[in-house]
Amino acid sequence: MCGIVGYVGGREAQPILIDSMKRLEYRGYDSCGIALVEGGVRVYKDAVRVGKLERDLPRDPKGRMGIGHTRWATHGKPSRVNAHPHLDCSGRIAVVHNGVIGNFMSLREKLEAEGHVFQSETDTEVLPHLVEKYYRGDLEEAVMGALRDIRGSYAFIVMEVDSPLLVAAKKESPLILGVGDREYFVASDVPAVLDHTDRVVYLEDDDIVRLSPLEIKITNNGQAVTRQEHAIPWGVEDAQKGGYEHFMLKEIHEQPKVIQNALKGHISALEPVMNLDVHPERDIDNILLVACGTSYHAALVGRYVIEHLARIPVRVEVASEFNYGDWVLGKTWAIGITQSGETADTLNALRRAGKRGCGTLAITNVVGSSVTRIADQVFYMGAGPEIGVPATKSFLAQLMAFYLLALSLKATDTHSLEGLIADLRLLPGMVQNILDREDEFAECGRYLVDYNEMFLVGRGINYPVVLEGALKLQEVAYIHASGYAAGELKHGPFALLTPRCPVIAVAARDNTYDTLMANIKEIKARESPVIALAEEGDRDIEKYVDRVVRVPAVNPLFSPVVNSVALQLIAYYAARGRDCDIDMPRNLAKSVTVE
Amino acid sequence: MENAKQAVILAAGEGERLRPFTALKPKVMIPVANKPILQYVVEALARSGIRNIVMVVGYKKEQVLDFFGSGERFDVDISYVFQEQQLGTAHALRQAKDVVGDRFLVLPGDNLVDAETLSSIIQAESATILIKEQENVSKYGVVTVRGGVVEAIEEKTKEARSNLVNTGIYMFNREIFDFAEGEVDLTSALGNMIARGGSVAAQVTGGTWLDVVYPWDILEVNDAALRTIDATAAGSIEKGVTLKGLVSVGRDTVIRSNTYIVGPVIIGDNCDIGPSVCILPATSIGDNTVVSSFTQIENCAIGADVQIGPSSTIDDSVIDRGSRLKGHLIARSGEVDVKIEGEYHRVEVGAMLGEYCHMEGGVNINPGVLVGNHSQVKAMKLLGQDIPDGSLVV
Repeated sequence: MCGIVGYVGGREAQPILIDSMKRLEYRGYDSCGIALVEGGVRVYKDAVRVGKLERDLPRDPKGRMGIGHTRWATHGKPSRVNAHPHLDCSGRIAVVHNGVIGNFMSLREKLEAEGHVFQSETDTEVLPHLVEKYYRGDLEEAVMGALRDIRGSYAFIVMEVDSPLLVAAKKESPLILGVGDREYFVASDVPAVLDHTDRVVYLEDDDIVRLSPLEIKITNNGQAVTRQEHAIPWGVEDAQKGGYEHFMLKEIHEQPKVIQNALKGHISALEPVMNLDVHPERDIDNILLVACGTSYHAALVGRYVIEHLARIPVRVEVASEFNYGDWVLGKTWAIGITQSGETADTLNALRRAGKRGCGTLAITNVVGSSVTRIADQVFYMGAGPEIGVPATKSFLAQLMAFYLLALSLKATDTHSLEGLIADLRLLPGMVQNILDREDEFAECGRYLVDYNEMFLVGRGINYPVVLEGALKLQEVAYIHASGYAAGELKHGPFALLTPRCPVIAVAARDNTYDTLMANIKEIKARESPVIALAEEGDRDIEKYVDRVVRVPAVNPLFSPVVNSVALQLIAYYAARGRDCDIDMPRNLAKSVTVE
Repeated sequence: MENAKQAVILAAGEGERLRPFTALKPKVMIPVANKPILQYVVEALARSGIRNIVMVVGYKKEQVLDFFGSGERFDVDISYVFQEQQLGTAHALRQAKDVVGDRFLVLPGDNLVDAETLSSIIQAESATILIKEQENVSKYGVVTVRGGVVEAIEEKTKEARSNLVNTGIYMFNREIFDFAEGEVDLTSALGNMIARGGSVAAQVTGGTWLDVVYPWDILEVNDAALRTIDATAAGSIEKGVTLKGLVSVGRDTVIRSNTYIVGPVIIGDNCDIGPSVCILPATSIGDNTVVSSFTQIENCAIGADVQIGPSSTIDDSVIDRGSRLKGHLIARSGEVDVKIEGEYHRVEVGAMLGEYCHMEGGVNINPGVLVGNHSQVKAMKLLGQDIPDGSLVV
């Protein structure tokens, strides 16, 4: 929800901070700011994007130590005064923070009673004042004092004008260290430091770090600890646009590779042993999938796949709802799906299921993320870093995770698997085929530009696909799109059908095809323009709809893969036609670490 | 003089004579020994110390962007300019006018070269053409040189006055833009330069310079490139497998029992080969490809994501990515007349399959047949003539 970064070393901090913040902008971008130590603490911040802040900076602000922040507003609207870094009363202490201080109201009242003067509406501002209150010449001790008072989730970085070091602390919000040559970085996520180093330390909850140009010291509950250094296998390449105008399009184009990577080493026609690093819980009688947003849609597809292939009952819950119900859990294997590994609701749901005695599995894309410490087992999606805020390749990687998981749960039966394995191997090519015909999807996207509301309908395994397609159209193209199970439209939403409300129908050639055709006729009778996403070779459909967009024919079980990519492209080109800010949609952030 | 630091690669062309292989990708992305031709060019530049690369892309440009990105994987820094319509090499270079410095190399992205090829030109200071001696010059621009200075460049002339051909590799200063304005090809721009009293130098290269003009050329260039690979055996090689000569096996690939491989052969990552498969010299097999039991393959360029069923015999053939061939496929070589753009060429070649074809069991393909992308062929059919993209043979 916010991105933070700190630098200490021998170089000028300002350009390093700005570049890192650009890589963290996916976490929030309604305002941003930096603070540098040079004589005094200087703060430059505003409710602007990082690029604008950079242009507005005075020429060459000096300082070899600094902190930066890019914000997704929770407490207080986006404005210059609410932007981080925040200062104490004396202007000697600066803080950037990601997370939520739960008890900030009472702390603020107490601090104000003690004479501290607050500038902003943020929860964060209590931090510099608390550090000021406890500061007796040692910044780390002052931070420890402040931590005793606060409740909530945080990753924050503090600097003080006379201390030649940064102090960072972490609890339930991500924080990593980048280890350079006589310089150190601390940031919310790995891409922020990749320009400078590929050596990274993942911090754990309750860690407090002192960073000076010469060394880092990590303590946890007063004890000195060492944390393992990891070499990051991917490079800056993954975090660059590589000639594309938007990360979203670049990431859409990475999907054939994502599928290939997912299948690598896991499938073979002769020995369909999955070699997953995940061991299914024994003695379970059902599986619970919990997730939010796009991951929730992937989980809904996962239900069809697991029930169909493995014959195990699956229920899917929106994590934020699961957390407040008094549910019956039996011999349940709880699986949480979160791209970032930081989604607060999903983390809580997994914790809750774990406390109830369920075995837990996390499906995530981020090594070392919080969910990997909560779940018993972890399945890494391996999609590589996803920078565009709209999820694309991570959704596909989640689908692949469910296919592999379901196949590994299926009783080994080589013969029936053979066809599935051959079909799986074809998937990268099928997705590439869609990308090769990008113009056809672009044309459909451009057709949607003039409409402000629409429906997407599908049935069976493609019902979640239309939910995800609608989400994409909402978040990137700002079209009020709703996804519906095709049979549900007549139970109310029909009242909204007009010639100004197009409908996209996803027509897979499975057992739902005939009823879907009936649904399309019902919709046509209400004069909505209907666009069908239909298989190559499906000639009948042309009789029923206004436009047909073709996807390659695949095994219906895998049709969500091709249909999702098609809808991503349509949403992308609709957004382009509507001049939307595709990689950074308004009001959004990549990972949502608040409930 | 110090070496040039910047290069412009012209990678926008389609390569119509190479259909079906260029219907879905630009010519520069045709794989040769499991690497796109363009990668050889990029690697030759990197080895020559030229890391600032401007790529002019156009036709199916996404394929280039997806593969090369910002160039980090190849230890170079790539930026892109777009040539929306492919209106010749001079027009292509003009697209890069705003991003090139004072002195830069220009290369076609669709000719296979190595660092040695470039060694004689990278130090050139002023306008220079890289030329190469060639036995048959009829396909190329012929350069006449006196005292290291170019007198004339004649395109595809009948009465060649020299056996030196233009490689399409040049060193330029920014002044080339003064002569390239309004021109289609760079040779015309150089002609203007010479006509107006400018001097164009020539450097001869003895290094690799291979061009793919027709579909069957892929096999010859594939063979040449395979001779330069390193023998490596990653993946897992079961008991009873024989590897002879220069053989490279990729990561996560399984070679199953009784498979017999004679190099030069390259097999990509994550393949599943065998048991009892015979792969004979000058064959490349792309990533994620499956070759099932009792199949024999010789002198073939096989793409990624291909599935070849059991008991197939395939030689002198090109099989592009993503095809699923269900077994008992016969694609044998023979001497035939192949028609490309209305002209017949007598060549010895097997089948040439585009991308994502689906063939059921027992299909026979006659020598020299071009099979369009996304074609589907039912069981036991004989393909006696070319079929266009998206065909259904029942």
